[in-house]
Amino acid sequence: MPVAMSFEELEHTADVRLRVKAGSLESLFSEAARALMVVMYGSAEPGSMHRRIEVQGADTVSLMHAFLSEVLFISEVEEMVVSGADIRLSEGRLEGELTGEPFSPARHRSGMEVKGISLSGLSVSRDNHTYILEVIFDV
Amino acid sequence: MLQGVTRIGPYEWEVPIGFVPDMRVPGRFFLSDRLAETLEPGAIQQLANVATMPGIVKNSLAMPDIHWGYGFPIGGVAAFGMEEGVISPGGVGFDINCGVRILTTPLSAADLVRKRELIEALFSAVPTGVGAKSTLRLDQNELLGMLKGGSKWAVEHGFGIEEDFLHCEEQGSMEGADPEAVSQKARQRGMPQSGTLGAGNHFLEIQLVEEVYDPAAATAYGISEGQICIMIHCGSRGLGHQVCTDHLRILEGATRKYGITLPDRQLACAPLPSPEGRAYFGAMAAAANYAWANRQVIMHMTREVFARMYSIAYEDMHLVYDVAHNVAKFEEHTVEGRRMRVCVHRKGATRAFGPGSPDLPPAYREAGQPVIIPGSMGTPSYLLHGTAVAMERTFGSTCHGAGRVMSRTKAKKMLSGHEIKEALGKKGILVRAHHNGAIADEAPEVYKPSDEVVRVVHEAGISRRVARFTPLGVIKG
Repeated sequence: MPVAMSFEELEHTADVRLRVKAGSLESLFSEAARALMVVMYGSAEPGSMHRRIEVQGADTVSLMHAFLSEVLFISEVEEMVVSGADIRLSEGRLEGELTGEPFSPARHRSGMEVKGISLSGLSVSRDNHTYILEVIFDV
Repeated sequence: MLQGVTRIGPYEWEVPIGFVPDMRVPGRFFLSDRLAETLEPGAIQQLANVATMPGIVKNSLAMPDIHWGYGFPIGGVAAFGMEEGVISPGGVGFDINCGVRILTTPLSAADLVRKRELIEALFSAVPTGVGAKSTLRLDQNELLGMLKGGSKWAVEHGFGIEEDFLHCEEQGSMEGADPEAVSQKARQRGMPQSGTLGAGNHFLEIQLVEEVYDPAAATAYGISEGQICIMIHCGSRGLGHQVCTDHLRILEGATRKYGITLPDRQLACAPLPSPEGRAYFGAMAAAANYAWANRQVIMHMTREVFARMYSIAYEDMHLVYDVAHNVAKFEEHTVEGRRMRVCVHRKGATRAFGPGSPDLPPAYREAGQPVIIPGSMGTPSYLLHGTAVAMERTFGSTCHGAGRVMSRTKAKKMLSGHEIKEALGKKGILVRAHHNGAIADEAPEVYKPSDEVVRVVHEAGISRRVARFTPLGVIKG
């Protein structure tokens, strides 16, 4: 049975600390992007917007850091609320497409501004068929 | 208190070498017994981690608002030697030159009629919250001006008067800013966000000077009891956040290149004289200037609202001072009897230069540097002055705020934004935000009591109280 994608918030006094789970490394990236958006905008629903994404990183942690930082950047300058990502991973490289909807002040103002993705406490691990990300967003 | 940590004074504690492997100097932090009850072990671990960084001088320090951050603890201060030392975005944070300023008005509490209208007028004049757009229409050249000139640029473009930038740390314009080191991405984020307050703990607050403790310093700063003032707290917006993200990646590579071993990847750093270290400093200084210009533009909008609503002159509202609390700077300090130039990182800490410092405006030289400590929404804010003790003990640094004690998750579960708003309203404090969640998130209960944090720095002597301000109304992001 495939592992459902999900995320939960863990205790952290100053910032937002999340644990994200998925059944594959690719879907872990997708769910991490959605989790970031839910923190920032309160909700993230699929929509008609699509944007290409491409990042590089020496290891999975660096790749995840680069990916989430890029999603944050794209979301801000394209005014896009990302709901997921269809990505391909190859040696030190990620490419694919983000899906989402346009930012709407009426519907997307119940979140909080994320300033950056912290490298402190960033980890990607695997437990049998479950891929697990722990990450801290500076808010 | 944590095992392995030693008390060395009524308000001072030492983290000895060996608390974590490879510490080069001991850690020191300031805390009262009451504040020690909520100290997080993770914050002390981070304080000790900083002590392992190359070229650190004297101590890895933390102020009484210390809490668990990323890289450095929040409230962390560390100085590094110019030759053997390093510079690290983890010691500055994502929000470069997040800072605070106080503006005085000639109004007293009785003059502040139509308060709700005032709050609404400020809320519509100053763009706030997630996704807020600038009302300035900057082009690339103007952005460049902002990155190089900071507050000075803003004043030259009609957003203030000359005395404004003289009353900023670094005169609102940091030397060594290198816009070339600021990526296109950072510029893209910065352009539409100039002159916006942002979200999270950023705010604009109307305050009343409730009590003056040090009349001589208060007079020098232009503060008197019963006066209405305005406090503005914000930073370098997406531009600064992107500078940190970009350079963190570059410095991760540099950490490996220069063979530096670190206990936390967020402490990624490079030697100060290296090309990577210099590029980060240049970009960070440019982002700091952007933040100073940003606060200047927001203050300008505020002055216009007050001038219109209360028929007072724009020039009769004076900027007392503007301090940065997330920044790395080159300063001269005395270490073991020897004057030396160091790179001081302050992450959630405020510069607190003592009397006589040549960096201060002439009118403040006798009193020392004004230090502004914002409270949380319902609690008082303080104005203090820097001291000689701070120069000796903390590289001229003190606390920056109250410091959180409750996580945002818990705050949202336990507190209702609506109820908090009503409770504050009953105390005469009006709160305006885009949504109630932003209020719960920053409620008075989630912070350490500001009066206790300020009492510790006052008693420890690293800054001294000048005046206390109570909130009357606040707009939040």
